[in-house]
Amino acid sequence: MTITAGIDIGTGVVKTVIFDVDGDNTKWLGKRSDRIRQRDPFQLAEQAYDELLEECGLGRKDVAYVATTGEGENLAFHTGHFYSMTTHGRGAIYFEPKAGAVLDIGALHGRAIKVDERGKVTTYRMTSQCASGSGQFLENIARYLGIAQDEIGTLSQQADDPEKVSSICAVLAETDVINMVSRGISAPNILKGIHESMAVRLAKLLKSIGAVDGVVLMTGGLALDTGLVAALNEAMVKEKVNLVVKSHPDSIYAGAIGAALWGAFRHEKLARLGQLAMAS
Amino acid sequence: MSTAEIVSRAQQLFEDLNFTYAREWKAAAPGRKVVGFMPVYVPREMIWAAGALPLGIFGGGDELEVIHGDAYYQSYICRIPRSTIELGVSNRLDFVDGMLFPFVCDVIRNLSGIWKIMFPNVYSKFFDTPQNYQSSIGGNYYVQELHELREGLEKMAGRKITDDDLRRSIADYNENRKAVREVYDFRIEQPWKAPAWEVYLLMRAGMVLPPDEHTKMLRDYVAAARDEDRPIRDNCRIVVTGSFCEQPPLNLVKSIEMAGCYVVDDDYMLVNRWLMTDVPTEGDPLVNLSEAFIKHSVETACKYVDKEEVKGQFLVESVRRSKAEGVIFAAPSFCDPALLDRPMLQHRLTENNIPFIAFKYAENSGQMQPIREQAGTFADSIKLWSEQQ
Repeated sequence: MTITAGIDIGTGVVKTVIFDVDGDNTKWLGKRSDRIRQRDPFQLAEQAYDELLEECGLGRKDVAYVATTGEGENLAFHTGHFYSMTTHGRGAIYFEPKAGAVLDIGALHGRAIKVDERGKVTTYRMTSQCASGSGQFLENIARYLGIAQDEIGTLSQQADDPEKVSSICAVLAETDVINMVSRGISAPNILKGIHESMAVRLAKLLKSIGAVDGVVLMTGGLALDTGLVAALNEAMVKEKVNLVVKSHPDSIYAGAIGAALWGAFRHEKLARLGQLAMAS
Repeated sequence: MSTAEIVSRAQQLFEDLNFTYAREWKAAAPGRKVVGFMPVYVPREMIWAAGALPLGIFGGGDELEVIHGDAYYQSYICRIPRSTIELGVSNRLDFVDGMLFPFVCDVIRNLSGIWKIMFPNVYSKFFDTPQNYQSSIGGNYYVQELHELREGLEKMAGRKITDDDLRRSIADYNENRKAVREVYDFRIEQPWKAPAWEVYLLMRAGMVLPPDEHTKMLRDYVAAARDEDRPIRDNCRIVVTGSFCEQPPLNLVKSIEMAGCYVVDDDYMLVNRWLMTDVPTEGDPLVNLSEAFIKHSVETACKYVDKEEVKGQFLVESVRRSKAEGVIFAAPSFCDPALLDRPMLQHRLTENNIPFIAFKYAENSGQMQPIREQAGTFADSIKLWSEQQ
């Protein structure tokens, strides 16, 4: 039995999970997510970690390996750090063992990651620096439209005549949206248009890593956007690609879960090599 | 003194592009001189024996805006000659009495010519080290080159450099090299207590401090670092190579470690470690310096290796000695020696099942995210998938 923690410090949210791992048997003991909201992410992560441990009836000394991911390299008490691609790949396999690729769409970027059955990253591609395919962009649009973020997915699926939006540049897309609002286009049609535009970009990203069939698991904050998942599956049909895009209610924890599970893997490996002192 | 205080002092020296320490050292006693030198190697013993302070000029880093320097060079070469010219024309080196340009590549060779034209009152020399490593050929040639350097420095300093001056200077640098080795050995043993960026700044301090002062700084650091309790991370151990001339920005050095790599060996400021053994203080000092160069110097891209089967073996041994798990090739953009050497070294690493990645930088590179991504995923691949573990 090895207790490990995974802490994923993202651009907008800190995700924390605790696992109990015994070989191939894993038990998810606890989870929490905290929006950063202009607070110090490291202080927030430490507070969240301690509170989650307490909820699980554990103390810091019970944890064999604290693994960070995302922007967590500088977290003072971590044992090891794993890169986002590595952890999202593993997290995706945890949720969906048949997944052959991952779409990780966070607040500021998106990336397509191809993984093997162990969760090992075999190749990846990121979106370009433009923010038009990111969660932050969708947050801005929700604000312009005066709707809550968790309404985006539902509203998008009510669209009857989606309006085309620029997929090249967030600034142009935001201008498009302002024009649409002034032209009286409904929020569902605007949102669906945005989702379709993002889906086309993401479908190309998946193609570029050679993901052409099988299951793609969405992770990152936008994994909860049901409208985007629907638009992606429609885009796959249009592009004649045999991919099924899935999400999971806990997809946003994929990075933290991957970190915790890789942490357990490393702990076991170091124990086998007699090098546990190197990760104390 | 704590490591933080020692490193803070080293960082102040590193960031000071007006070289205040060297200016003050020169002004502190009449007749003192300062001689600048560029990477990779010059025999600092000769400069120090002439009563002059050897001052390493390792470019302008990421804090110097190059305005004039760009006018002297085409766009498709590295940045260090431009920023060195910028240091010169902006009068930051106006106190320097001599400049040595050792053999690295054609760019640095050309810079020595430009320097002679631009600063005719400064003693400038292209220090042409041999590419033949037989004592009877390259060794004899190198002794002649040292004689020429000695005469030039004597003329500049207005005093003779006696053999005893040289022996005392060699002893000072032997001690300094010993202290440098102690720092590197300590880092191999406990890399979490000697972060790469701290060791980098310590070694960089040796480019401006006199040898005795630098030696003390290094020993104080090791003593303080041994006693400090720093958290151990589950990082992989890597060797950085290819950065022997134009230096990476400090943020790059930090980024590699932040990405999950303990740097256990490197080739930054190789002048500190060029000679791997003590130089004898008995006998002819020039012959001793020459023999040390010919027989006991490190291997880099700007040294010719005449046997193909030997090429890269030095790097492999460095990996073994430092118990490293992989190599990061980090070379300046347009660095002919490092980039032309790279495929041969990579071939040797592949033969020895040593994983590696490669990227390029400039001394003023500002965007570290791609470096962190590459180094981080490399660290992950070693930690999770390496065959040795």
